[in-house]
Order: sequence, then C-alpha cells, then structure tokens
Amino acid sequence: MKAMELASPAPAALATESPKRPSPLRELWSFRQLIALLVVRELKVRYKRSVLGLLWTMLNPLLLMVVYTVVFSTIWRSSFRNFSLFLLSALLPWLFFNTAVLQGLFAVISNQELIRKVRLPQAVFPLSVVGSNLVNFALSLVPLFLVMAALDQPFTPALLFLPVAMFILTVFTSGVTLFFATATVFFRDVRHLVEVMLQMVMYLSPVFYDLRTLGEPTTWWFPLFKTCLQLNPLTYMFSLIRDPVYYGRLPELSTVVIACSAAVFSLVVGFFFFQRLSPRHIHYL
Amino acid sequence: MRKGEIIIRDVGVCFRLYREKVTTLKEAVVHRFRHLRSAENFWALRHVNVSITPGEAIALVGHNGSGKSTLLKTIAGVLQPREGEVLSAGRISPMIELGAGFDPELSGRDNVYLNGALLGFSRKQMEAKFDGIVAFSELGDFIDMPIKNYSSGMYARLGFAIAQDVEPDILIVDEVLAVGDERFQEKCKARILDFRSAGVTFCFVSHNLEAARSLCPRAAVLHHGRLAFDGPIEQAWEKYRELERGPMPGPQINVAAS
Ligand SMILES: Nc1ncnc2c1ncn2[C@@H]1O[C@H](COP(=O)(O)OP(=O)(O)OP(=O)(O)O)[C@@H](O)[C@H]1O
Ligand SMILES: [Mg+2]
Repeated sequence: MKAMELASPAPAALATESPKRPSPLRELWSFRQLIALLVVRELKVRYKRSVLGLLWTMLNPLLLMVVYTVVFSTIWRSSFRNFSLFLLSALLPWLFFNTAVLQGLFAVISNQELIRKVRLPQAVFPLSVVGSNLVNFALSLVPLFLVMAALDQPFTPALLFLPVAMFILTVFTSGVTLFFATATVFFRDVRHLVEVMLQMVMYLSPVFYDLRTLGEPTTWWFPLFKTCLQLNPLTYMFSLIRDPVYYGRLPELSTVVIACSAAVFSLVVGFFFFQRLSPRHIHYL
Repeated sequence: MRKGEIIIRDVGVCFRLYREKVTTLKEAVVHRFRHLRSAENFWALRHVNVSITPGEAIALVGHNGSGKSTLLKTIAGVLQPREGEVLSAGRISPMIELGAGFDPELSGRDNVYLNGALLGFSRKQMEAKFDGIVAFSELGDFIDMPIKNYSSGMYARLGFAIAQDVEPDILIVDEVLAVGDERFQEKCKARILDFRSAGVTFCFVSHNLEAARSLCPRAAVLHHGRLAFDGPIEQAWEKYRELERGPMPGPQINVAAS
C-alpha cells in the first residue's frame, strides 16, 4: 500500500532535478502557429457573410480620407500638393495602431473560456489581434497605391522601405496592445480611458499635419506642442511611412533609430507587464 | 525527473474573495483601493502533497467544490499555485474538459487544427494525425459540419480523439467520459489502458466508483481542499464515504482574512 506519508518525496533529491520552465519567449514562439490560426479565424469572422467585407477594409480609409481632406482643406485652405495623399499616408498607420489597441483591450477577456481550461501563453490573443490588423493594413496599401497613381505621385524605390516601416510599427503597436490588454483585465473601465487617450493622441500626432509643415507660429503654447510632438513616438512611426509615400524618399536615419528604439521599448515594457500579470488574469476573468 | 512524472509539493491555491466586487479603476480609486486590503483568501487547495510516477493512474475523488478541478488545473499549468509547487515532466494533454478550445462556429476539421495548435502542434503534424483522429472519433462526414451542430457526445468524442492522439506523457481528464455512449466509453477506457501500458500518466476525476476502479488502482481523496487520503482506491472510496457522513460533507466557504 502506498501511504500518504510515503507519497511525499524527499525534497532534497528533487531540487537538483527540477525541470526548467521554458522561457516565456520560447514558449510564445512555439505557439506561433496558433497565432497564425487565430489571425485567420479573426479575418474569417470579420469577412464572413459580408461580400463587401474585404472591399470595406479598403474603402473605409478612403472614405475617411475624403472627409478629412474636404474638411481640412476648407479650414486650412492648405495649399500644399496632394493633401489627400499626405493625409492617407499617416491615416493608414494611425488606423492600424488605433484599431489594434482598441480591439486588443478585450483580447484576453473574450478568450476567457480558453484561458480557464488550456495552458497557453495568453499573449497569443492580443498578438493575434495585432496580426489580423496588420493584414488589414497591408490590404489598405492597395487603395493607397491607387490614390498615388491617380494623383500622379511618383513610385520611387523608397517605397521598398514600407515593409520595414510596417514591421517597426507592428512591434510598437504590439507592446502598447499587450500593456492595455492586461490592464483591462483588472479594470474594465481602462477602455474608456484608452478611448479618450487615443482621441487626444490622434490630434497630438502628425496625421493631419507634419512637423515640417507647421512652420513657427508665435503663440505661447506652440513650443509646448512641438515638444509634445517630438516626444510622441508616433511622430517617428508616421514619418517612416509618409516619407517614402508622400515625399518619395527614405526616412532619415535618426528617425529610423528613434522609431526602432521606441518600438523595442514598447514591446519590452508591454510584454514584461503582460507576462508578469498574466498568471493573475484567471482570478479576474 | 522522468517523463510523465508529477510532483505536487505542499501546494496551496488561493482565490481572493472580495466583499465588494471592484472591476473598474474608478471604483478602485473612489474606495482608495480598500478592496485590496479587505479581500479574503479562500484556499481551494492547501498543503497538498502527491507524487505520481510515470505510467501511474490516479483518480481524484471528493465532494463538489473539494478542489479536484483546481488541482487538475494546477497540474496542467492553467492555474499557478500560491504556495508550494507542481513539477511535471513531459507533454501534458491539458484537456481539463474535452473539447476545451473548440470554436462552435468552425467545422470539426478546422477545430482539429485549432486544437492541435493550442497544444503546440504545427499544421503539418496535425495533417499526419488527422485521419487517425477522425477514425477514432467515428464522426465520419460530420467532421465537416460546424461543431455547434454536434451533440454533446459527439463533441466529447472529437475532444477525446484529439487528446488521445497528441502523444501526451500526462493525460488529464475531468469527468468527461460520462457523456459518450457505452461503446465509446469502452473504447476510451481501452485507449487509456493502452496509454497506461505505454507509460502515460493519467489523472482523472470521477464521482463514479466503477469507472474509477476500472482505470485507476490509486485514488486521492480531497476534502475541503486538503488531501484526506492517498492510496488504494477501495480504501480511498471508503474514506470518502466516511467523510461524507461526517460533520462537513458539502461545499463550504471557510475564509481566512488575508
Ligand atoms: N475562479 C474562482 N474564483 C473563486 N473561487 C473559485 C474559482 N474556481 C474555483 N473556486 C472555488 O474553489 C473550490 C474548488 O473548486 P473545484 O472546481 O476545484 O471543485 P471540484 O472538486 O472540481 O468540484 P466538482 O465536483 O463540483 O467538479 C470551490 O469552492 C470553488 O468555489
Ligand atoms: Mg470539478
């Protein structure tokens, strides 16, 4: 008979044999196929039953572009060339960032059934949201190129930089998405906070304007505003895309370096928080 | 450690019970995070020591709410213990419930791949297993139907068929064989016995003595989160019945202030 006392092993013998837990990154990597599957599933759900789904993804930014172009060219009488393209080149990355972060807020909560029952790195859920939005972002390059062609914008070799730019932006977005996804598990109203913040960030990011096109107004708050812009990582992210698309040239090296640093910083912080807090998620779901 | 070994050492799993449910930042700030201080600890498991050798089959028994599922989840790594540790070696088929992770909108086929990915298998690997899984589940053409149209037995069949084909070193199942029809139950039992002879460790929750006895010579009795007995199943069952006649038979909340 195996008595209870005998069942507990001698602790000393064990200490040396304890298997190592896989590192979080390695574990995540081993689940990359799952991320791909979840991305496909999300896209399927989104485009299911709506033949226009795919078309809508491409039309949506174009409609926004038209509205903003009309509004802003009326208000500002902005004189510069191809304002709609100028706008679209930052609007697309903004929409990607904005949608991924907003959808990512509930990525963990909406998969709670799974999290309660299956052991997996929970980061796959927010990351798959970023992934499916990246696919949409890539799809929206089609209308972007169409607009470029329609406006006689030259297609320069600098456009080859776009995949790199998108990669950097994706890394940045992943970090932010992970951070707010875990925060929302603990406090559901983080969503409202994030929504308001994103609204503000949109106007404090060079979507409708550009550091270069602002000039040097003499209002007292302008230096503050400018500092804000210079501290905003999205300023650099958007340059990575606007420079090749609108200005037809590669972004400056300093811009690339700052954007990369911001992306790495964001991912490290976001992943760290997510990883530290994810074992506690199950108690709050 | 050898593959398939599980060591549960002085494990305590604690759920925090909040007197006031605080789910928003606003409430937390308004109450100055008081809910964190006034939270009470509820130990769903405490001071549990069990060690399971490779190839062994163990049944967990106990009243509702005694912590059986919690223990299985801790072994599977779904829950992290607050105290002590759970060590295990080898691949765990972490199906706390068969078919956990099925997406009702997807077809059986897509779900096989989704489940495979949940277990960390690539599409290629699952393609190789696919025919075997369908054959075991005996679902035939239903495999291309959306899962939401399955009966609960069909659901369990597919779940078990996947879980049994992922080459686990440790198989964990929580009261799931009950829904299959008699023949399928026999098939599952035969498969589990195969596993046992192949050296797969098996942890199993059951309220049914017959089912448990036919699969597991050993049983652990949990009572209010404590390990009350660990040993041969016949004696375990007696202990279990004795406890149920005792002063604290059913689920109870005894909380300790944190
Ligand atoms: N997420 C949770 N939050 C708070 N308490 C929980 C949570 N999960 C489980 N518990 C509590 O832990 C205790 C043990 O639950 P568990 O599910 O392990 O019981 P069980 O032995 O599997 O019961 P059953 O026979 O009904 O399946 C119960 O009192 C339950 O209320
Ligand atoms: Mg249970």
